[in-house]
Parts: sequence; C-alpha cells; structure tokens
Amino acid sequence: MSFRKLLAPLLFLIAFSAQAQRFTVSGFVTDSATGEALIGASVFIQELNKGVPTNNYGFYSVTLDQGDYTFIVRYIGYADLQRKVHLTADVKINLLLSTTVHVMKAVEVNGTKAESHLESTQMGNVDIDVTKLQALPALFGEVDILKTLQLLPGVQSNGEGNSGFYVRGGGPDQNLILLDEATVYNASHLFGFFSVFNADAVKNVELIKGGMPAYYGGRTSSVLDITMKDGNDKEFHGEGGIGLISSRFTLEGPIVKDKSSFIVSGRRTYIDAITKPFINSNGTFAGSGYYFYDLNAKANYRLSDKDRFFLSGYFGRDVFTLSGNQPGSPNFKIPWGNATVSGRWNHVYGPKLFMNATAVVSDYKFSFAGGQDQFGFKLMSGIRDYGLKLDFNQYPNIRNNVRYGFQYTYHIYTPSTVAVNSGSTDFNIDTPSKLNAHEAAVYIQDAFDVTDLFRINFGLRYSWFAQVGPYHEYLTDDAGNTVGTYDYPAGSIIAQYGGLEPRVSMRYTLDKNTSVKASVNRNLQYVHLASFSSIGLPTDTWIPSGKNVKPQEAWQYSVGWFRDLKQHTYEGSIELYYKSMANQIEYAEGATPQDGGNANYDAMLVFGKGWSYGAEFFLKRRMGRLTGWVGYTWSKTMRQFPAVDNDEPFPSRWDRRNDISVVAGYVLNERWTLGGTFVYSTGQATTLPVQRYFIENRLVSQYTQRNGFRMAPYNRLDIAATLKNKPTKQVTDKTTGDVSTVQRKYRSSWTFSIYNVYDRANPYFYYFDASSDSGTTGITVQAKQVSLFRILPSITWNFQF
Amino acid sequence: MKRPDREEDGVTCSGITPCISHRTIHSAPLRLKHYDHMASRFLFLAVLLSLLTSCTKDITVDLPNYPDQLVVEGTIEPGTPPFVILTKTQSYFAPTDVNTLASIFVTGATVTVTTDGNVWTLDQICSNLLDSTSLAAAAEATGLSPSLLSAANICIYTSIDPTHVGVIGKTYRLDVSVDGKSLSAVSSIPNPVPLDSVWFKLAQQTPGDDTLGYAWARITDPDTLGNAYRWMAKRINHRANGQTMDDYYISPLGSTYDDKYINGLTFDFTENRGSEYYAGHPEDSNAEQGFFKVGDTIAVKALSIGKKEFDFYSTYDSNVGSLGDIFSTPANVKTNITGGLGIWAGRGVYLDTIICVP
Repeated sequence: MSFRKLLAPLLFLIAFSAQAQRFTVSGFVTDSATGEALIGASVFIQELNKGVPTNNYGFYSVTLDQGDYTFIVRYIGYADLQRKVHLTADVKINLLLSTTVHVMKAVEVNGTKAESHLESTQMGNVDIDVTKLQALPALFGEVDILKTLQLLPGVQSNGEGNSGFYVRGGGPDQNLILLDEATVYNASHLFGFFSVFNADAVKNVELIKGGMPAYYGGRTSSVLDITMKDGNDKEFHGEGGIGLISSRFTLEGPIVKDKSSFIVSGRRTYIDAITKPFINSNGTFAGSGYYFYDLNAKANYRLSDKDRFFLSGYFGRDVFTLSGNQPGSPNFKIPWGNATVSGRWNHVYGPKLFMNATAVVSDYKFSFAGGQDQFGFKLMSGIRDYGLKLDFNQYPNIRNNVRYGFQYTYHIYTPSTVAVNSGSTDFNIDTPSKLNAHEAAVYIQDAFDVTDLFRINFGLRYSWFAQVGPYHEYLTDDAGNTVGTYDYPAGSIIAQYGGLEPRVSMRYTLDKNTSVKASVNRNLQYVHLASFSSIGLPTDTWIPSGKNVKPQEAWQYSVGWFRDLKQHTYEGSIELYYKSMANQIEYAEGATPQDGGNANYDAMLVFGKGWSYGAEFFLKRRMGRLTGWVGYTWSKTMRQFPAVDNDEPFPSRWDRRNDISVVAGYVLNERWTLGGTFVYSTGQATTLPVQRYFIENRLVSQYTQRNGFRMAPYNRLDIAATLKNKPTKQVTDKTTGDVSTVQRKYRSSWTFSIYNVYDRANPYFYYFDASSDSGTTGITVQAKQVSLFRILPSITWNFQF
Repeated sequence: MKRPDREEDGVTCSGITPCISHRTIHSAPLRLKHYDHMASRFLFLAVLLSLLTSCTKDITVDLPNYPDQLVVEGTIEPGTPPFVILTKTQSYFAPTDVNTLASIFVTGATVTVTTDGNVWTLDQICSNLLDSTSLAAAAEATGLSPSLLSAANICIYTSIDPTHVGVIGKTYRLDVSVDGKSLSAVSSIPNPVPLDSVWFKLAQQTPGDDTLGYAWARITDPDTLGNAYRWMAKRINHRANGQTMDDYYISPLGSTYDDKYINGLTFDFTENRGSEYYAGHPEDSNAEQGFFKVGDTIAVKALSIGKKEFDFYSTYDSNVGSLGDIFSTPANVKTNITGGLGIWAGRGVYLDTIICVP
C-alpha cells in the first residue's frame, strides 16, 4: 500500500536518530504572572545554535547529548530568560517568562515569535499579537481580529467594513476557522460588519495562508487558528471596555491557585437602544430591534505535571425582531449564531511524547419565523458537528519534530427548511431530511533538519468522507421533474470520497539573514457553503459532498524569499503562489432559498473550477517606537463554470489586481500611542446589465458577462490615538515616609479613532436605477454607487484591573 | 422613503439606501415568494438605519456595445386576437426621450400565428391612425402606456379577423421574420382556474388609517401538478378629471406562482396594487403606494399559464424587482422565444370584480 511505503522512510529516520545515548529536557513555558501557556515561544540552545518552539499548550522537548547547555527562552513582549542546564539525566524544567515592563511595540503582527521567519519552513504564516490590536483604528472603535488579518498580503476583505476574509483567491467557505479546536462556521455578526471573536478572550491568533501542515484539513484555502486565554491561575483580574455600539467585560482568576483557572468574557451590542430615537414610531420599522452578544468561557485544571484538562465554550447570537404595533403589521424574529464547546485533555506520556485529545461540539443555526395577517412563515437551516481529535507531538531528537494523529467528525446538516401557512392551510412543502456525514482523517508530519541549512517539513494526510442515511432522495427525470422518491436507511452510505493530501514545505538558509522556501500541498474539502448573494448572509447554508456534489480540491504551489535587515529590525519577504481549485460550487443563476423545497439539496447547484496566482510583498518593522508594515499583493483569481457565460472564464468576486496596505503604530510616550492604517485595492468585479428592453412597460435588464465590470478602486485611511493612564504611581510608606514607584494595578485607556479620514465615498455596490419623475411621461436611467461608511469618528474606553 | 440627511456634490446620504427603498418594500402581506429577501432587507435596513451613514451618488459607467436583439411581447387569450409587440434591446443608457423609446418598436415584420394547420397573418396597426377611443382600447389591450401611444407612432401586430381568436386548450405557434431574422415560439392556452372568491380587506398597518387595504382572493388549485398563475388587476373607477384610474391591467411584481407548494390546496392569498410604471400617478409616490383604497373598483384578471410562461414571468418579476438590490444575484429573464428575447404566452383568463368597502 502506497501509504505505508511513504511512511517507511519517515519511521526509519525517527528510529535511526533515536538510537544515540541522550537525555531529554522537557516542560512548559508559561507567563510567570498569569500562568498562561505561551504558544510558539522559542527554547534556544546557545551551544548548538538551534531552537525548538513550544506547541499549542506551551510544551517543549529537546533531546541532547550529556553536557552543559545554556537555554535562552524568547517570546515577544517578554524578557529573555537564560538558564544553565547541566544535563546528566532526563529532566523536566518549566520555564516562566516575565513581561517586559515597558512594551514599546504598539502594533505587532508577529511572524517570528519562536523561530525567526528565516528558520521555519512555514510559508504564508502570520501570528497576530492580540494585545496590540487596541492601538489600531477600528470601525466604531470595535477591535476586530479578522479585519486586522485583512491588512496582510494575500488576504482580502469582502467589501466595506466586512470581516469576511478571502485568502489567495479562495472562497469564504475555504477558510478553516478554529476556536480552541472547534470549527466556527459563521465567523461574523451583522452582515459581516463585526467578527464573532471577542479580542479580550483571545490569547493567540495564527493564520496560515499556504503550505497548510498535515494536522489541518477539510478546507482548501487557509487556517485561522484562534486560542482562547486559559485564565489567570494566580490572581483575579478583570478587563473591559465601553464603546459606541457595544460593551465588553472579562473576568479571569484562579479556581485553585496554580492549578486551575477560569475566564469568562462577554460582549453585547446596544445598537437597538441607540437607534430607537431614529425609528419612526409609526413607520415600518417601529418595534424593530437588533442586537448581538458573545459569551466566551473557559476553565482548566492541572491534575499533575502530566495531565491537564480544558473546557471551553463559545456562544453567540444575533437577534433581529420586528413587532409592529398595528394589527396588519408584519412580525418576525430572526435569531442566528454559533455555539461551540470543546473539552481537551493534555497528557505527557514521557519527555518526548505529548498528547492532546479533544472532543468538540460545534453548532450553527439560523431561523426566521414571521407572520402578517393570516400568513405565517418559517425558514431555518444549520449545521452541527460532533468531533474527536487525537494529536501526538513527538520529539525523537533535536532534528525531528513529529506530529501525528487522527480526527473524526460527525456532521448533521439542516438544509434550508421552509414552512408557510395561510390561515389554517399549510402549504405542501416537505421538511427536507437532515443530511448526515462522517468525516475522518489520519495524518503524520515531520519537521526534519536534514542539514544545518536545509529543513524539510513533509506531511501526509489521508481523509475520508461519507454522506450517510437516513436520506429522502427525490428521483428526477432528465427534465428535472420529480418522478419518485427513495429513502436511504439510517447509516447506509450514499456517497463516499477519500484521498491523500501530501503537504511538503522546505527551507534553505542562504546566509544568516536570508532564506528561501518552497511548498506544495493538496487539500480536499468535503463541506461547501452555497451563497445566494454577493454579501455573506446568515441564510447561506452549508452542505455536504454527496452523490452530485464532489469534494473541492486545491493544489497550491508557492516559493518565497525571506530576509532580515538591520539586525532583525526589519523583516521582508516575497512570496509567489499558484493555486488551482476543482469542484467549486455556486447556485444556478436566479436561484433563491425558497425555490429549494420539495427537491434534493443539490438541485440548484452548478459546478466549475477556479485558479489563482499572485505575488505578495511584505516589509515589516518589528522593533522601535515605530512599528508596522507595508504589504503589496498582485494577484489574479478566475473561475470557470460551464453554466455561466457559456464556459467563458470570469474573474472571481475576490479578484483584486493590486492590493496595498500600510499599518503603523508609534509610541509617543508612556501615555500616548498613535496608530494608522491605509488600504488601497483594485475595484471589486461586479455584474452589470449592458442592455435594456421593455415588457409590460417595465424596464428589463439584460446581462452579458459575469463580473465583467470593475467598481472604482477602494482606498481609505484610518487613524487612532490612545491615551493611557500612567503605568506607575508613587506610594508613600506611612511608617518610614519613603516614596517608591509601583506598578498600577488599575489601568485604563481612551482610544480615539477616525475611520475613513479623508471621507472617501468608497463603492459598496453599483446599480442602475430607472425611475419616472412624478407627473411626467418617460423615464430616467442612471448608474448609481452606494457607499456605506463615510468619515466616522469613534471613542472607546478600556479598563483593566 | 428617502430621507436625505445631507447632500453634497450630488451625493445623497441617508439612513435608508435608496437602492432598497426605491423598489417598494412597503410591507405588503407575506406572499409566497421573496420571504428570505424580505428578511434580509429588513435586517439590512435596520442596520443601515442604525448606522445612519450610507450614501448614494450618481456615477458614469462605460458600457461596451452589444448587437441589438429582438424582443417579443405576445399574448393570446380565449376570445381575443393575438397581440404581438415587437421591440429591440437598447444600450442601457440610450436616451430616454419619447422618440428614442418609440424607435425600439420594430415595424415591417411578417408575423404569423399557426394553429391546427391554419396560418393567421397578423396586421400591423399603428397608433397614428387611431382616434382617442381606439387609443384607450389599444392601451388596454396591449398594456402600452396611452401617453406613449399618442406621443409617438407605435405599431403592434394583431388581427381584425373575428375568427382569429384564442380557444382554451389550443396550441399556437408564433413566427416572426424581419430584416432577415426569424423568431419562433409555441404556447398553449391552459384551462383557466377560477378564483373561489375575491374581496377587499383593510391593511391596518398605519395608525388611524381606515381606507387602505389589499385585494384578497381564495383559490382552489386542481390536484394535478403543473398549474401556474399570474395575477393582474386594474382600478376601473375614475379620477376627478374623468380618466380611469388605471389604463390597463397591471401585475404587481411577485404575483406569479406555480403550484409546487400549493398543489391541490384551497387557500387565501393577497395582492398589493401594482403601479403603472412611469405614469407619475400621485398615489404611486405617497403613503398610498401599493394599496387599494376604499372607493376603488378593482377588475381582477387571474391568468392561468404554462410552465415556460411561468418561468418567464417569475424571472421577469425578479429581474425587474431586483434592480439595485444587493441581496439578489443578477439573472436574465428566461424566454420561450427561439432566436430572441421575451415571451409568447397563451393565457387562460378568469375575470372578477372587487368593490372596495371597509
């Protein structure tokens, strides 16, 4: 079997290198003040000029010959820790880092927490330091992780103010978004204006744009791996903020000191309260209300040095209601949102083997119940996952870092389900059967230092997916008419797919400041998001691969050149990529959710392919009073569908030829920090009618080319200034009269920001309007541009204790 | 619904985007279609209301030139002759004066209707030959605006032979040839499905209002699958100046249904008032927009149509209704015309009248 053949050399290498007589140093790297595990910290052995990173739980392991070593532990924002180790036996050393007193880096997107970007094989990889986001300007002052990601090369936003992101030409459903290992299916609130991630509860954010390690799978474009804070296990702390449209509060503290801690974080908007005065109490929107909230909670318990348990959950809902005050007014309630729960168990089997077992439940639901007069209407859809993951980190020797494991998910999809009644008459709309599927994968990967200059990370993933019964299938003739139905029994396989996903990336060091990298990988994706409109709507539904829906497949090839300048003050990179995507899906022209009743879930879909290529340039200043980056992307993204424009290739919605972003932070003094961002991108591709005709006196639009037009370019400058209270205060000792300076426990700050400083009317979408002037015959036809956010000042108050 | 908050250089900023408000989303009772759209629109509006910051401005878009296509708007109903209006597509931003609009009408075409082996050759009838009574009749029969008919010389194709009229259950083939191009289409007149009853009911949506309402009807769908319907109505009471309220039957957008979800059912449905496009009636741009009113007399024309005709009318409704709607994806209107655009529709007709009393 080919799988075994591929594994054989790998296992041989591990076995071979493990033979020498050596000892292992292992342990956890944590923050000395809070007990938070530090992800991706570098444990560097000076004598060997070699380092290893900590894993997602702060664990590290290095196996070395007997002798004396100097360990240097580094993590951004923390003072370096040096530790002499006299190695004569296996030893456990937990390393505690302290934050530097004055953090001068106002804005930090960090590609090099552990290993320098020169050293790792990983390409297209970015970590974001969440603590620094508050200094950046934000729409309505709402700090948003996803919108910050959009400022990176190769990552695009879906229009004004939208937190949806598109990576290297991939669709919105092709990003794997994980929150503490649980998949988040719809990562935004309110038409994408805000993401569901409350930055106060988040410890670590990592985005992988290309060269996805074998550990991750099920999506073809990118991985966004978000880790929630564990909670301070030493003392209680709180933080929060009051903004224009929402407020936040987070509380963390020990349950059992040094052993167990919790964190609870909540956020709620009060848009409804603010808008009430603006809504005409007699108008259509009287009695309407909208709000969203997020709740994050996490607890952990350290049973021993070997075992640790985590339980984390997220619950968020958007709720829109309308209850008119007149008998004939429409009424409805539309709640939607995500919920995730993940339980994890870390176990250290020995100094060289670390295991994490995860059980997850993830749920996304949309529902709409409305009525008017004697009519009633319901629409619902959703997805629920039950998953298990088993992941092993093995550190056989300092040259190899091996990871392998198994993942399984049971998916339950609720396709768009509609019910309508007029008085006591219910319309004949079948409740579609839920769709069930198994998804499983095994994987192994090894980061192997072949020589001191050359590292290769090869991984292999085998994934399998099966849609299973019960399933009520409509049988159709060639014309699409239903001629009968067939019921698959529970558990029977309706369709199954599987495949190998090789993932290889490598790095070659040219000199101490320069390295080159290359990667190739194949990704399979078995779930699809079918979207009815150009902006992400909560009605968009996730559907599984099945009889007619083949899994999406992507191959990505990339090469890159990485260089540090001026003693690592600057880092720069150039990456080129090419990506091909097969089995992409779309709804057929003109399809709407309510057309899908009494038919199979895949009846309205059309299939095609896509490709994307581009060059990404990135230059970042990492240190000093001024930090930030400049990114430029040149790219092209195309799609081709037999059912669209007679199989002519057309530009994807995410096709942007030029994309520039500039992000800067400047620390003026210990109280003031300034931040600014500038973005420019080629106008979005859009479909416009080219001809008109008249039927029944009304103007009909005739379209010819999908996405054949470009809107005007998008550009915008935002600025922010943050004023903090003094970090220290003078304390007079009452008995001695000595005056000393101590750190303040209570910190607060004001952030003043202006969105769209030069008040540009950026295009949100274009439309052609035909109207008649009152009292005259004839029509006026006019092209119009709608812009959403013009200049918008905002103010946010944050506090910490 | 536009409430401009500020205006500068032709830019209108308002709490509600005109893109959504200019196509009525006045809260007509829930109808069979467009629920999710309604939900989305309400949501989006609420959001924009709250943010109070959306702006619209006029722009210029350069459109490439495409060759014109022929457009057929043809109907045949029981007891009436076929009416065929033949026009051409135009560049989207072609001028909109009466002469340019009149120039889209195609004259000199050979138009025939074939049924049971008989070929009827249709006559070209032009509006400059009609007196005012005939103009009103022509407007009513064709659905063309009477002001357009009188302002320019518009020609349509029909037959004055009293034997050339539609019969229920028969199939009619349309052939058009003009300037070396040929178009053809086939359609049948389905059995009309009657409405069980029709009535007027107050909408009760505005406080203190006791005059505005909707038309209601009860229908029993036959229990064979494959029926489709389109609602048309016109107000036949008169304005103060003596003119009839509506010049022709109007189908409000979104009033085309098939029986996919209602097969064999008896149920009530409701319709709002469609407006005569571009006619500039005052009640189409104030609080009465979309409503019938106490005192109106409504002539109802309930059409029964076939599958292809349903496809045309329903995609037509969304095409026209989604102009400037960000929630819909652009889609062309499906046609049953080979070689061109538009529709050739055999339509079964059921007529009824509603007198609007509270």
